[in-house]
Amino acid sequence: MTRIGVFICHCGHNIASAIDIEKVVEYAKGLPGVAYAGHNLYSCSQEGLGSIKKSIEDNDLDRVVVAACTPRTHEPLFRRACEQAGINKYLFEFVNIREHCSWIHAKEPEAATEKAKKLVAMGVAKAALLEPQEEGESEVVPRTVVIGAGISGLAATASLLEQGIETHLVERGDRVGGLLKDISMVGPEGICSRDLIEALVDDIENSPKAHLHLNSRVKELKGFIGNFDVIITKGDEDLTVKAGAIIVATGAQELQPKGEYGFGEHPAVITQLELERRLGRSGLAAKKIVIVNCTGSRQPGREYCSRICCNASLKNAIRILEANPEAKITILHRDIMSCGTTAEALYREASEKGVRFVRYGLEQKPGISTHGKSIKLKVFDEALDESIDLDADLIVLATPLVSPDDSEETSKLLKVPRDKYGFFLEAHVKLRPVEFATDGVFVCGSARWPVSARESIWQGQAAAAKASIPISEGKVRIEAITAEVDSEKCAACGNCVLACPYEAIEIVDDEGRRAAKVSEAQCKGCGTCVAACHNDAIQQKGFSSRQLGAMIDALARASTEGTQ
Amino acid sequence: MNDFNPNILAFCCNWCSYAGADLAGVNRLQMPPNVNVVRVMCSASVKPEYVFKAISQGIDGVLVLGCHIGDCHYLTGNHRTAKRIPLAAKILDKVGIDSRRVRLDWVSAAEGEKFQKVVTEFVEEMRSLGPNPMKEVRF
Amino acid sequence: MLLERVDNPGKLRFDVPYQMAMILTKINRFVKEGKIAIVARRCDEKAIAELVKRDLLDGSRLELIGLACSAEQVEACRCTDPCPSRVDIGQPSEPVKDDQNFAGMLDMSLEDRLDFWINQFRKCNKCFGCTLNCPVCFCDECLLEEKTFAPDKGIPPGLTFHLIRTVHLADKCVECGECERSCPVDIPLLSLRKMVNRDMKKMFNYVSGDPERMSPLLTTLEGDPMEDDPNVC
Repeated sequence: MTRIGVFICHCGHNIASAIDIEKVVEYAKGLPGVAYAGHNLYSCSQEGLGSIKKSIEDNDLDRVVVAACTPRTHEPLFRRACEQAGINKYLFEFVNIREHCSWIHAKEPEAATEKAKKLVAMGVAKAALLEPQEEGESEVVPRTVVIGAGISGLAATASLLEQGIETHLVERGDRVGGLLKDISMVGPEGICSRDLIEALVDDIENSPKAHLHLNSRVKELKGFIGNFDVIITKGDEDLTVKAGAIIVATGAQELQPKGEYGFGEHPAVITQLELERRLGRSGLAAKKIVIVNCTGSRQPGREYCSRICCNASLKNAIRILEANPEAKITILHRDIMSCGTTAEALYREASEKGVRFVRYGLEQKPGISTHGKSIKLKVFDEALDESIDLDADLIVLATPLVSPDDSEETSKLLKVPRDKYGFFLEAHVKLRPVEFATDGVFVCGSARWPVSARESIWQGQAAAAKASIPISEGKVRIEAITAEVDSEKCAACGNCVLACPYEAIEIVDDEGRRAAKVSEAQCKGCGTCVAACHNDAIQQKGFSSRQLGAMIDALARASTEGTQ
Repeated sequence: MNDFNPNILAFCCNWCSYAGADLAGVNRLQMPPNVNVVRVMCSASVKPEYVFKAISQGIDGVLVLGCHIGDCHYLTGNHRTAKRIPLAAKILDKVGIDSRRVRLDWVSAAEGEKFQKVVTEFVEEMRSLGPNPMKEVRF
Repeated sequence: MLLERVDNPGKLRFDVPYQMAMILTKINRFVKEGKIAIVARRCDEKAIAELVKRDLLDGSRLELIGLACSAEQVEACRCTDPCPSRVDIGQPSEPVKDDQNFAGMLDMSLEDRLDFWINQFRKCNKCFGCTLNCPVCFCDECLLEEKTFAPDKGIPPGLTFHLIRTVHLADKCVECGECERSCPVDIPLLSLRKMVNRDMKKMFNYVSGDPERMSPLLTTLEGDPMEDDPNVC
């Protein structure tokens, strides 16, 4: 008989306000195999973890169930506590009664309490059948691949090289610098972009451990943390690089707002990036300039704020006025987002220099009419509550950064998720920034969200720091949730071989006995093969059919026998 | 609305729908308390056997929630889910169990609201179907 | 009966229902060399195709002698596909018209249908005749002999038992009717198989016994892996 310890967390008021903790504890005490049930105010606090560890020792527990928040963020913490108390960390089961119960049934305390009991019963039923697992250890290849040589990828590469880590930097274009190479000066401090790029390129070029691949792409990524195989392709040539970690810095692109405000039809309607190019080249002849912020963003279908365009508009307005104080600049905006100490000063400076700010609404977007070279704009000024007319000889559309056209392809290639706008999703915005849920793959810069040059550099350095962790450790542990075959049972029908998305299974002949064999290193632990197997000969560790079956039984029992 | 309270089992994939359910929680999206989530690594690991086991034992409905097609954390795991689960529902129909008691849907990690919607609708549907007849059947 | 040399083929009987495909897999495993000739009805031929696809049988060693079933046999099996791809013995008979409604089973209300099947399954004494005599049931140890899914409630085994068998056979049942014939309590298993096979056709345009197509339940949605690699099978 197992000796399961059940710990119900109050999470302060987060759980206890909807769920009657005492009742759940009492119920848990009566569940089969439970030797101890208790509660903690905050299970994840030092005090909570300490009391769990003490209970394990005092009550000679051999399995632990914590009913608290989500395993997606807190499982490692409790597993570690189990290990410290001498229990294999795979003998721990997490029950989510916060996100999946108290928070979503806040107004139904009785029903929430009953549901919490069911969830605990299911968790206990699974815990009773848990088995200790040994995690495999795998060597880490001391090499990284950074994809994308924009400012973020350059910063990441330079930072990795500084730590002595060999790095391959893959850029699909023929030059490094990404979007920043079209921008001559970055705000709000007015730093010269070329200096920024060149400083990083210098670091890279002077390092014997750097490999820059221009006009190249990553064609294939296989493997796992510590041991990736990356195929880099250039023309007809393929190069396979073994790497321990991957940094994705594929950036973003500027939206080309076809049809908006005459873009693409009238030569005097340009995007902000084109304005940046012109400012960098030869200055501007135009005198009457209207900048339309939020073109194509913060509207249905593309609801997000691109974050960098307001500051860019302010910076460019000031630059134009400094070169030509006679210029008349109007910024049409929906809100000016210039937060922070320096950017807000930029807004003030622009106002003082005579930039006119007109706030428009989404319901009444500015209208445009063109007569030869002259352009007229009709804008409903929300502050004046009336329409005003503006003359312009240049219209600059501040459009958002959008995910690259091939971001879907990239996401499939790298097996990383995207949000609905095509930007990459990191594992957890607060707990695991710049990390993907896939171990060993990191993300930085505008690939994950539009960011400024400064933020790109921070994130590049942050990703480099994270990527250097497994490399400096030299070894990684592999989560023991892979599939395993009972070769005595296996009928060698090949269902699992065909179903496996990773080609990690093959049928092998062992002295006349044919059976499936899983390559541990290739198995990602999805369990697709498990559902394809007819006689349960293949099982996923930690999610066996007996364990999940017991959860189903527990739920069925709770509904027929009640939870009192 | 009747006062029957269905008992529902949901399999949620760790990467999408479980995270979507977490997000619904973080955003305090309220929904009926009838759905009990089992976390699996991928919706493709949900054996049709689990669905049958649950329904045979009187659980009123089974939800299988995975990543959207194309977004599977395991590339194409959910392609198999997309075929297995509807087949399991069809088989139930053949022996006289309403196939609506099994529902497959896609909920991404960013779709807390969709999780709420799917759960709310499914609970309503199970409520209108009434108790699983297998509850009364004794073999 | 494994004949190495046939002295008097006239004495061989072809009208006995036999579970030959699975016997073949054993021969395939233990007799390593030489060709194997088999007298095969259309359903045997399809069962063999299912086993060859799964690499449980070496198709290149087989020589099929096609046996066309008689009209009586076709009638008895309600067979919709009785003619082997090559007829060596017998005269081809007309298939029966496909019964889409399986004697009104699909006309019943859900409630009546459940009643019907529960009463059928209640008769089951878990003899495993249906699995042992199935030409495509290839596991040595059956999942249904364990408690994980078929709870240990004794006899009858409960609904899961038959549902699990149904889903396992969905992508391989060739409608030979052995399960129904070998059932001592006359559960109309062939009708259940046929109904699910029609669903498989409707859902995935898949028909078991097709040597060219792997089970859609194992492949991606985009297409059949065999399109890219004809050597899969």
